[in-house]
Amino acid sequence: MLVIFLLLWELVPRTGLLPELFLPSLSSTLDVLYQDWRIYAAALWVTLYEVALAMLIACAGGIAAGAVVGGIARLRQLLLPVFSSLYAVPIVILYPVFTAWFGVGSESKVAFAGIYAFFPVMLSTAAGIRTIDPQFLLAARSMGATLTQQVTRVIIPASLPTVFAGLRLGGALAIIGVVVAEMLTAAAGIGYLVTLNRTILDSPRVFAALLMILILSVAYYLLARAVESRFIVWQSAGKELPSTV
Amino acid sequence: MAGVIHAIEVEGLSHVYGGAVSALENISFSVAAGRFTVIVGPSGCGKTSLLMMLAGLRAQSQGTILCQGRPIPGPDPQRVGVIFQEASLYPWLTAVENIEFPLSLRGTPKNERRKRAGAMLELVGLAGFGERYPHELSGGMKQRVSIARGLVQDPPVLLMDEPFAALDEQTRMTMGHELLRIWSTTSKTVVFITHSLTEAVYLADEVLVMSARPGRIIDRIAVPLPRPRSYDMMATDVFGRLRDRIWQQIRKTP
Amino acid sequence: MKIVAVRLALLALVLAAWELLPRHGIVNPLLLPPLSDVLRALGDQLLRPQVHEAIAVTAAEVMLAFAIAVPLGAALGVLIAESEYLGQVFKPLLFYVFSIPKSIFLPMFILVFGISFAQKVAYASFTTTFVVLMSAATAVESVKQDYLLVARSYGATRTQVLLRVYVPSMMPLLLEALRISMIFNFTGVMIAEMYASRTGIGHLIAGWGENFQMTQLFAGVIVLAAVAILFNEAVRWMETRVSAWRA
Repeated sequence: MLVIFLLLWELVPRTGLLPELFLPSLSSTLDVLYQDWRIYAAALWVTLYEVALAMLIACAGGIAAGAVVGGIARLRQLLLPVFSSLYAVPIVILYPVFTAWFGVGSESKVAFAGIYAFFPVMLSTAAGIRTIDPQFLLAARSMGATLTQQVTRVIIPASLPTVFAGLRLGGALAIIGVVVAEMLTAAAGIGYLVTLNRTILDSPRVFAALLMILILSVAYYLLARAVESRFIVWQSAGKELPSTV
Repeated sequence: MAGVIHAIEVEGLSHVYGGAVSALENISFSVAAGRFTVIVGPSGCGKTSLLMMLAGLRAQSQGTILCQGRPIPGPDPQRVGVIFQEASLYPWLTAVENIEFPLSLRGTPKNERRKRAGAMLELVGLAGFGERYPHELSGGMKQRVSIARGLVQDPPVLLMDEPFAALDEQTRMTMGHELLRIWSTTSKTVVFITHSLTEAVYLADEVLVMSARPGRIIDRIAVPLPRPRSYDMMATDVFGRLRDRIWQQIRKTP
Repeated sequence: MKIVAVRLALLALVLAAWELLPRHGIVNPLLLPPLSDVLRALGDQLLRPQVHEAIAVTAAEVMLAFAIAVPLGAALGVLIAESEYLGQVFKPLLFYVFSIPKSIFLPMFILVFGISFAQKVAYASFTTTFVVLMSAATAVESVKQDYLLVARSYGATRTQVLLRVYVPSMMPLLLEALRISMIFNFTGVMIAEMYASRTGIGHLIAGWGENFQMTQLFAGVIVLAAVAILFNEAVRWMETRVSAWRA
């Protein structure tokens, strides 16, 4: 499938099916990327830095908040509906507030993307915490586990799938948030390159930046999946065997 | 009591939920060491609550519980092993790691743990399956691992809360038979809860029949069938009459 | 009732902080104007025809994009759920699609449509279609096979199965899908308006931000948030009414 896609990318503009302005050919895009690689590398570095920080905020905060709010019944009843209502608001409308407060540099991107990713991670973790079988703790108690042991030997391992899902979600959303922010108002970063080159109608350079973003997102997704399956071997789908007693 | 310390002694046990709902009413019974006692009763009669109290996982409103002559203020896995209806094996641990779990909580060194867990694995007939994860085991196998886990600290008393309820009938029968085999190689005291009248008569030395809420002991039925039990005993008159007697008792209660 | 009371108390606390912290200079009032100033600006803005126009434009974009995306996404979603082959081909792709920031396609839409009403609608429906697609596919797959089997064994025609089994069974999920899709739809329109537009609320907000007109900016944010939340709660309410039969 990928090969077909790449072929189309090359041929459709070349044959004039679509003007080069709309869709520059793959070769011209790669060519520009190669020529200006320093610029793109520097931009990528900025973007990655912002994504990392945003992800840190969103995941650390979101997972912790989600675990607490999801785990404590009172808090959950009180706050969860509030948070999921807030989720309905397009966070992007807050971005101008962040640029007014923090300026056009990385801080506003990190703040925005951090908050953008925070809510979904929190909601997802809160939901995931509730899937932990309450019998696990009962069994542990009956085996004489102390409170510390209950947390470290049962709750933490049982929460790992939820935590990993949160990390994967947080990273993906952090990337999306940073890219959107950089496209809107920025002075550096890959998203900024997209906007910059769009306004001067330099399509190959725009698409070179788009290509980098595409690769970044897909790479992150694959990485997250790979890490998850390494650590959570025991989650691999196994249908229950018919009883041979 | 003439100097005989029973494995379990319950005296005047009552329990009230939330100050209003009476769950258990004046329960008294004792179980001699090495005996297999089955508690049978309708849904909601409080048998699980009773078991929780025998295990030290819940405190009773009134009355005393003595296990080997001493009270049980909290869970004491070296005295009382508990096996629940849901095997509740930890999915991130292999079968043998699950069995070792109680030992690792106490800081038992690794070789010792492995040895004892391995022995338990063999006892329940799962030698060779130690490295499997729970999701790779069938329902019956999971319960066997759960039983092995309950036995690994060699507690003199074993409490089992409808451990075979989630299994299909044929597996249940086989597991019941297996349980009796395992029990016969040890000298443990077992208190076993079930819904199934057949299972009760097949497994027990004595059956305690509970009424619907508030739960009371309405009958104690000794099962005179010889051991080792066999399937064809289920077809005998004696078996049928015992079953019937239990059923009549349960039916009577509102 | 107690829960509602506690929530209202929390809200009151937040609002009070918003008013008092800037007023007393604990927080820089240039960065975070006191709530009363914001509300006053809100009142002023709502009277201006320019703002009315912007609201009208944004509302039109949101509704049109939704009207396009929902049937389109639903149709595609049902197709993917019903066809084994299509499902196998496209389902893995969908995961990738969701990882990609769809805002990167904005420049393409601008290239094709220019900066216009059409561009914003096209972009928003594009992003929303994927969400609707995913939800629709999930909803179709959620209908238990058992229900279908029972209906067919009683001789139900395909239409009857569709109307009497699929639809009621999927209704809660469909409403949920609508709710989530609208959230994405709204977001899509906002991004498009803030990125490159000459009209619409998003554009106004971006402008206020650039010019450090913080009171107007916050006023705009409050209005948008209120609208978004109202719509959300309305659909949620409908969901609970339709979901009474679910566990």
